[in-house]
Amino acid sequence: MNWSLLWAQLFNGLTLGALLVLVAMGLTIIFGALGVINFAHGAFYMVGAYAGYVAYAATHSFVLAVIAGAAALLLVGIVIERGLIRYYYRRPHEDQILATFGLGIILVEAVRAWFGGISQRLPVPTWGTGAVNLGFLYYPTYRIEVLGIVAVTLVVLYLVLYRTRLGLIVRAGIEDQLMVNVLGINVNRTFLVVFGLGSMAAGFAGVINAPIVTVVPDMGELVLVQSFVVIVIGGVGSFWGALIGGLIAGEIISLTAIVQPAYSEVMLFAAMAIVLILRPQGLFGVQGRQ
Amino acid sequence: MSLLEVDKINTYYGEAHALFDVSLHVEQHEVVALLGRNGAGKSTTLNTVMGVLAPKSGAIRFAGAAVASLPPYEIAQRGLQLVPEERRIIGGLTVEENIVLATLTAEKPWPLERAYEMFPRLAERKRNRGRELSGGEQQMLAIARALVREPKMILLDEPFEGLAPIIVQDLIGVCRKTAEAGQTIVIVEQNVEAALGLAHRCYVLNNGHVVFEGRPDALRKDTDFMHRHLGVEA
Amino acid sequence: MIVEKLSARGPLGRWLPEAAAVVGLLIFPSVFALIGGTADMADRILIWGIFGLGFDILFGFTGLLSFGQAAFFGSGGFMTAYLLIAGVTDNAMVALLIGTAFAAILGVIIGALSLRRSGIYFAMLTLAFGEMFYFLDISPLKEYTGGENGLSGVPATHVGIGKWFVELHTPEGMYWVIAILFLIGFWLARRIVNSSFGAVLLSIRENGERARTLGHDIQKYKLAAFVIAATYAGVAGSLFGLFQGYMPPDGFYLETSGQLVVQTIMGGAGTLVGPTVGALVWIYLRTALQQLPLVGPVWKMVLGIIFVLIVTLFRRGICGGIAILWERLVGSGVAGATAPAVAVAATDKSPRTRAPLTGKVILEAKDLTKRYGGLTAVDKVSFQVVEGEIRALIGPNGAGKTTFFNMLAGAIPPTGGEMFFRGERITSAGSTAICQRGLVKSFQINQLFPSLTVWDNVRIPAIARTYGKFHPSMLRDVGNSEELNALIAQSLAAVHLSDRAHAPARELAYGEKRRLEIGLALATKPSTLLLDEPTAGMSPSERQDTIRLLKSVAAGVTIVIVEHDMDVVFGLADRITVLFNGRKIAEGPPDAIKANPEVRAAYLGNPVQK
Repeated sequence: MNWSLLWAQLFNGLTLGALLVLVAMGLTIIFGALGVINFAHGAFYMVGAYAGYVAYAATHSFVLAVIAGAAALLLVGIVIERGLIRYYYRRPHEDQILATFGLGIILVEAVRAWFGGISQRLPVPTWGTGAVNLGFLYYPTYRIEVLGIVAVTLVVLYLVLYRTRLGLIVRAGIEDQLMVNVLGINVNRTFLVVFGLGSMAAGFAGVINAPIVTVVPDMGELVLVQSFVVIVIGGVGSFWGALIGGLIAGEIISLTAIVQPAYSEVMLFAAMAIVLILRPQGLFGVQGRQ
Repeated sequence: MSLLEVDKINTYYGEAHALFDVSLHVEQHEVVALLGRNGAGKSTTLNTVMGVLAPKSGAIRFAGAAVASLPPYEIAQRGLQLVPEERRIIGGLTVEENIVLATLTAEKPWPLERAYEMFPRLAERKRNRGRELSGGEQQMLAIARALVREPKMILLDEPFEGLAPIIVQDLIGVCRKTAEAGQTIVIVEQNVEAALGLAHRCYVLNNGHVVFEGRPDALRKDTDFMHRHLGVEA
Repeated sequence: MIVEKLSARGPLGRWLPEAAAVVGLLIFPSVFALIGGTADMADRILIWGIFGLGFDILFGFTGLLSFGQAAFFGSGGFMTAYLLIAGVTDNAMVALLIGTAFAAILGVIIGALSLRRSGIYFAMLTLAFGEMFYFLDISPLKEYTGGENGLSGVPATHVGIGKWFVELHTPEGMYWVIAILFLIGFWLARRIVNSSFGAVLLSIRENGERARTLGHDIQKYKLAAFVIAATYAGVAGSLFGLFQGYMPPDGFYLETSGQLVVQTIMGGAGTLVGPTVGALVWIYLRTALQQLPLVGPVWKMVLGIIFVLIVTLFRRGICGGIAILWERLVGSGVAGATAPAVAVAATDKSPRTRAPLTGKVILEAKDLTKRYGGLTAVDKVSFQVVEGEIRALIGPNGAGKTTFFNMLAGAIPPTGGEMFFRGERITSAGSTAICQRGLVKSFQINQLFPSLTVWDNVRIPAIARTYGKFHPSMLRDVGNSEELNALIAQSLAAVHLSDRAHAPARELAYGEKRRLEIGLALATKPSTLLLDEPTAGMSPSERQDTIRLLKSVAAGVTIVIVEHDMDVVFGLADRITVLFNGRKIAEGPPDAIKANPEVRAAYLGNPVQK
């Protein structure tokens, strides 16, 4: 057994998992609060990466690129919620899926038309180059930083959800929208904020992941599918479900690669099938919902 | 002018006609009971007043302004507060979070201590989640959530439903104390005796129509009428 | 459903859609050429059309939105291409059959897994499983599939008998093979849609839960629809590889599944030909738009925008729009023609006399209990209903009536206790099995199939009664079954809706909908009927009518009724059971209940303390 390979893959799984957690978290919170599953979420992730790329090309500052990616998606999220999603709250889930799926096509194709289909690169920031000696492993600095960034983001998200007025309203709204409304709170405005924040999480994930992957118009597709798997494994609408599900998914992909690289993606879906058979509502899901 | 005036409202559930030209009024500092059998339209009336259901026709004026068909949150911000049937505590939130949630949009909310003084039991359980409470505690929390907003009027929907008699006695005490402090209350209750004991005036609904309006003792005297509309007689 | 509507015009009209399809397929290449279409494009359109026929049965008719159809398209295509390249067979049609069977078998497996969840989960799961096939294709199986290069060099073959044959490697030759398969596929799809099986699929789309409580095993029906869609996908995928002489990995792309969904919505779901029309628009516009200087690079975005607009504003798509126009032009006379006119003499039964209360026990609950967390909603309630009686269940709000009722109907499992129906234990049988045994519930809030006609609504329970909980007869026209038609007509007559048979359920007045709700239950020919507030939301005169109606229905049927209108209760019931706070506090004939001090106290909120 090659220990350093194992360690490296464990860390790769963690980085991949962390990013999936971020994307799936936005998806699952939007679904929990609004009851809408956003099939354009992968496209949002991609747009975030491109926004970061544009900002970087203009300013050569990675920090500004990250801010631009997140801010752009906050804006996109708000515009899309007001312009499209809110008309769908009362329509069947199938229609919501179709509309957001179509929206995803439009975004991907708009980006393709603008930037072309060739891959773009967002370089690793100067403070992220090289590798770090962890004692048992040399590991790329930037990936370790990504882990840190995601961890901090999740803590912030946790604090927003569990320690602020907004979080209080969101958590209450996930359970009982009508009662929150009866207590004098404008739930529609909260929806807008939640959709904006969920989209922002996707955009943010898109930028910080951009130096690790190549930036192409279709980059969101696989991430969307994988975050669906995360949600199915973790259970929809659950903070802890998205967190644990994401990490499990990342590790399955990377650890399988040690044994049999050809199967690494396939194993993820096999794991999903097993969860479906043994615990259809997901690890942290509540039975009866959907 | 009355604090609440409901003028000939008609409410439907989809196509099912639930309220037929229901009119009623509530004065400031008054306690009014709405009585009637299951399905008579009592809860529907409260929900329509609160904006949870929109009336197809008719007018509702609260504190001088037309409120029919406004969303519930706007009506709540004007000082009307519904304590809904089955309490609807947010089970995943703690007792304290439930109360704080209620204070967020209140103009001059109570300090939390005042709510805990009124319901010492809730103070003991403030870190517990809503779903861990007993039925009686949940009802206390539901009422506390309304009181902390210091509303102009409270609508109580079946506050004693499914609770043990001893807890019902406690809650009746709370309601009486609140009413004596000048709080305007509309109460819907299957427990006719309890409701009549609290009310200054009452309405009886039957199949979506108002069939009686008057003082509790006037209703009590007409036992035939009571049994026909509230009891087990056709 | 434009196809059905056309089909309903007399014996000649029965074959009109097929005849139209034959003519259409014959002239399509030449007409299409006039607007610049090529044989290659025509082939692609028909392949997508075959793919879409199956998908429409799944999505348009059953309401299951799958984003993973590429899995079956690709599997069929690669299997067929592999068999020919590896030389397992040199007969293209044999390879196609094996490829299709392979796709169908995968459909059983993926369907069984994905259908464990419904709604959005089903969409997410199918999408995920579709992606899984893509990864299987490009990585572990690349030895067989060529990975990202696909399988090229599918041998050029021909099909035919003797000297009549067509070359499969020319688009023109291929067209006729595809067209014939399309025609067969179209004919089969029409048979499926018009069969009793198809009727149940539609009811699942409209209101799956209700179909379940009316005695259909909807899980099996859904799986069958899923496998049908996978089979069509397998045929389409096989043809795709044959026609190109090359099976690309695109077959497994999410984009393939997505394009199918988009084409179906654009063309009109639930019309069978919609996906073909959608494919025509998509493939033609793609070619046309790509040639325009400004639009060229953004053609797909333009199509995406059109798609979102159609979803938002015009959910019925192009064929749905044509159907609406057609109805306007021809009038609505055609609309309900699927319902044959069966004359039923109004059977005026003599008013029912009260049943003897000493007969055989038909329905029994023993210590039935339901707890939710700490709350005991129903606490050890026992009761026995005698064959032929009308039993009312009353009690103040929160007494546990609805919970008790739902347990009897199998809608929720009890926490404790037992239930027996006609001597058999039904405690955990579930609503479908309970309904099949003859115990059925009608709902307080109407649970109908809104876009189906009244006749077609009642057909759903009639199918369950006549053919059992799963009846995969797909080729027989359901309208021709005398047995079904008689049962439907009889049930409609019983609830006085015979003259409304052709109206869609959603257009009925409220009172009529309530009667249809009862009619659905009656058409299962129940021996015991559970009625949940049958007069809810009715005006006083409608209530009187309903009481009369229930009395006439009650001949030969045992009824348990939950009702709060005391006029209804005392007007109907032989015996009354009173629940209060989850317990049974009294039981007996109406007069005794009226006089019972405990009941009187409970209703006025002053229960006698025990």
